[in-house]
Amino acid sequence: MSYAMASKLVASALRRTLTRTNATYGVRRLSTSAMAAETETYDDAVTMKGVKIAARPLYLDMQATSPVDPRVLDAMLPYYLARFGNPHSRTHLFGWESEQAVETAREQVADLIGASPKEIVFTSGATESNNISVKGVMKFYKEKKRHVITTQTEHKCVLDSCRHLQQEGFEVTYLPVESDGIIDLEKLRSAIRPDTGLVSVMAVNNEIGVIQPMEEIGRICKEFNVPFHTDAAQALGKIPISVDKWNVSLMSLSGHKIYGPKGVGALYMRRRPRIRVEPQMNGGGQERGIRSGTVPTPLVVGFGAACQVAKNEMEYDDKRIKALQERLLNGIRAKLDGIVVNGSVEKRYAGNLNISFAYVEGESLLMGLKEVAVSSGSACTSASLEPSYVLRALGVDEDMAHTSIRFGIGRFTTEAEIDRAIELTVMQVEKLREMSPLYEMVKEGIDIKQIQWSQH
Amino acid sequence: MVSGGVSRAQILGLYRSLLRTARQFTDYNIREYTKRRAADGFRENRDLTDPSSISAAYSDGIAQLQVAKRQTVVYSLYASKIKSVMEMEMKMPPN
Repeated sequence: MSYAMASKLVASALRRTLTRTNATYGVRRLSTSAMAAETETYDDAVTMKGVKIAARPLYLDMQATSPVDPRVLDAMLPYYLARFGNPHSRTHLFGWESEQAVETAREQVADLIGASPKEIVFTSGATESNNISVKGVMKFYKEKKRHVITTQTEHKCVLDSCRHLQQEGFEVTYLPVESDGIIDLEKLRSAIRPDTGLVSVMAVNNEIGVIQPMEEIGRICKEFNVPFHTDAAQALGKIPISVDKWNVSLMSLSGHKIYGPKGVGALYMRRRPRIRVEPQMNGGGQERGIRSGTVPTPLVVGFGAACQVAKNEMEYDDKRIKALQERLLNGIRAKLDGIVVNGSVEKRYAGNLNISFAYVEGESLLMGLKEVAVSSGSACTSASLEPSYVLRALGVDEDMAHTSIRFGIGRFTTEAEIDRAIELTVMQVEKLREMSPLYEMVKEGIDIKQIQWSQH
Repeated sequence: MVSGGVSRAQILGLYRSLLRTARQFTDYNIREYTKRRAADGFRENRDLTDPSSISAAYSDGIAQLQVAKRQTVVYSLYASKIKSVMEMEMKMPPN
């Protein structure tokens, strides 16, 4: 039965491409009516998590993940169909063609960061790459190196890998950041010790989008001859990356932040001077023994295609995203007071705009913005009501840290979406402020920081 | 008029096919992007004079068109049951 249904769908889709009538809506009607047998409602609304959803929200959460580019999916599909071979099979065509595809993808990834394909190891994503880098390097050089330097605003997986090392007796320095989210290079310099085995600083922050001074950090690491690792998951394809300019020894990359598939990433490992790691996964010895396990050909092909598209489109996307960010910020600023951009405005990737709205409760704001898919910070911590540790590291007040919203703009964001987001955000903030006694007091000229709240 | 083995009519035909295919994407964001990217791509290459770069741009466009044609079919097969809020606007009266 399902086969008949599928062929009906194919037929209707093909008919549409051939006749090119007002087909967008036509086919949707056809396909939904064909599926009506297996789903209860199909015309206007679905209910999820107790919320009735009549339309898909506009998506402004590109730091959490990005949609797959159709060009990427197009490259991947053949490897889900006839070309299903194991890239490590050496005895037949299936293996050979898969291996060739994996090696092409390796070149595409290397090309985007100015590396050699031999320096790329495919992993399951940036989290795995970060784990291999932090734990793998320190465990490999454990006889002489006992100290790691990282920052307070790193991604959870770097911080947790460091905690893990601390439990095993290593020492970790968590560098503080300035109020704009950038580290103080002098503090980094003075934190380096003779037994420092790794400096790990992320390139673009996932929550606030600030760009760390990578070249300067690389220079300091070179001066002291300390390996430098960077988590570039949010930087890849968005800002120009050169592993030589940055002088990184290790770099973590992710597929799904650059319009590629989820579940794939890469680790860049410098060959000259050579950096070595202890594998975190043992097995068949794939990826030069650093990451055993069959390489997922379709995902890797998609990651490679995403890198190639990113290389071609970086300039075009960047120009557009900058204009959209300006439009969003100006639009909100024109209608609301008491808004603060978290993190440096200049040293920032434009696709990430993290704003705090004063006198508004953050959770209520997010709940009110049902038609805009945004987040208060990283997706990993979006389940907790705690204010973000990144914002606290910046010294953002507790109340402002609670009201932050991260707007993530990407390749597929339209002007109309930005305008709608402005309209809805302004409406919601005004509504919440109208209810807020704090905002009323501020308007009357009372400085709420001076109020002595009585204890009950 | 022939430039680099690619005629003006062929180039205009490619542009029209790209826009027509772009309109068939069921996904709002992909549809808008494809239309915009095609228009901007042709605008960027409007002043090309070198025959070899014209034919390179043309064959790149043909390859993109083939991708778009396949993907409009894939997207239509798995089209979302509910539309984007951005598409709902068109039905509402302007306020």
